[in-house]
Amino acid sequence: MSLRILSAELLKIRRKFIWFLIFLGPIGVVGLQAVNFGLRYDYLVGKVYRDDLWGGLIENVTILMVPTLFIGLAILASMVAGIEHQTNSWKQTLALPVTRTQVFTGKFLLNLLLLLVSTTLVAAGTIVLGIVLGFGTGIPYGVLLKACYYPFLAIVPFIALQNWLSVTFQNQAFPLTVGIAGMVVSMFSIRFGDWFPWKWPYLINAAKEPLYSVACGLAFGLVVLAAGLAHFVRKDVK
Amino acid sequence: MLALIRSEWLKIRRSVIWLLLLVSPGLAGLIGLFGVREEQPGGPFPWLIALALMTALHAMLFLPLLTGVYAALVCRYEHAGGGWKQLLSLPVTRTRVYIVKFLFVMGLVALTQLLFLAVLLLIGTAKGGGGAIPWSELLGSVGRGWLACLPLAALQLAVSTAWSSFAAPLAVNVVFTIPNMLVANSADYAPYYPWVQPLLAMMPHQNGYDFGAFTLPSLTLLSVVMGSFVVFFLGGWAYFARKAV
Repeated sequence: MSLRILSAELLKIRRKFIWFLIFLGPIGVVGLQAVNFGLRYDYLVGKVYRDDLWGGLIENVTILMVPTLFIGLAILASMVAGIEHQTNSWKQTLALPVTRTQVFTGKFLLNLLLLLVSTTLVAAGTIVLGIVLGFGTGIPYGVLLKACYYPFLAIVPFIALQNWLSVTFQNQAFPLTVGIAGMVVSMFSIRFGDWFPWKWPYLINAAKEPLYSVACGLAFGLVVLAAGLAHFVRKDVK
Repeated sequence: MLALIRSEWLKIRRSVIWLLLLVSPGLAGLIGLFGVREEQPGGPFPWLIALALMTALHAMLFLPLLTGVYAALVCRYEHAGGGWKQLLSLPVTRTRVYIVKFLFVMGLVALTQLLFLAVLLLIGTAKGGGGAIPWSELLGSVGRGWLACLPLAALQLAVSTAWSSFAAPLAVNVVFTIPNMLVANSADYAPYYPWVQPLLAMMPHQNGYDFGAFTLPSLTLLSVVMGSFVVFFLGGWAYFARKAV
């Protein structure tokens, strides 16, 4: 059933520019680093990251990827929920022989899947960029995959939150402003303690163990999803 | 014209917008409250350091992105339920509708800037800097930041009138604003990049923040801002005047 819901959701987002954005985000992040490394090649490659070229590239990509994920997931959640809001069709969707739980988790899973595609594209793009920049083929796959997928897993609470907000509010200005605020706050999150959820996707914690941030993200993500679900199944829709 | 302004006012009052105005000044205020350390305890409040710190949060991403949210908001009621047809079938010209919507976007940006200033003044005065407020720097920073939002508001209003989705125009905004994180450090490219101008315009010129593009003569910035404003506004207006609604 979940698969059929997901395929229905995938049908709904066709020709809505959503796939375009899913590709644009990674291309933008990798492209900006291409410009960054291209313009400052002598400085970055010759001096700063001379001993660990791939490590330097991956680090730079991640620095841009995490804030972009924060705002990207807010825009994505808004566009996905906006399909029903714009056509006033929540009643119609819920009148189908599907449960509200399935509809809500369907939207959440769609967001998750699309962002997973984006994250994978970032990893692939980084490999291409590194090879084009002449960093050789000794690609540290382990480091690269961790740098891309750990933040994705740690950011799950925010995917659940934005999905919840975007589905709940008809006026998308509110969820989107929360998303913008989240991105900006996350960039200042280093100043906060490890309890601060906006810090988790940066994988920085006192124990220096990225997996702690990932575990917190996944656990709290489930909590937020459950809270959203509990609200949505009781909510009155227009 | 006055009737149009009154009808726009009717649409946005009592909406979520008043909450949105508070978000950026509020968060910047928290950074100002907890982030600023006096050089010596009991010494004068470091106004410009506080301004620089709060500007880093407020103007690099928030202000450009919020301008986009405001632009999408003033078009929201027309996109929902065929409002464009209704509005344009009234005895109003498209040019006037467009100008009034633009005025509202810039008005909301102005309110955001004033709230930002109010929060800064409040923190500074509470921390004992009431005697020596550097009015010209503070007002200049807030005012220049507002001016630097002119081209952004013009472009966002253009895409917001074009697309009925709320998030799509914002995506355009994000695409151009994210590079700010890199562009701001580049003395060569930042002066010509419209989306980073709010940050450059609001940053005070002292206190160790004079690296990168932060020391530019205001004439360069002004010509970039005004040049891109004219292009974006005329483009958006020409499109709206011919658009099928």
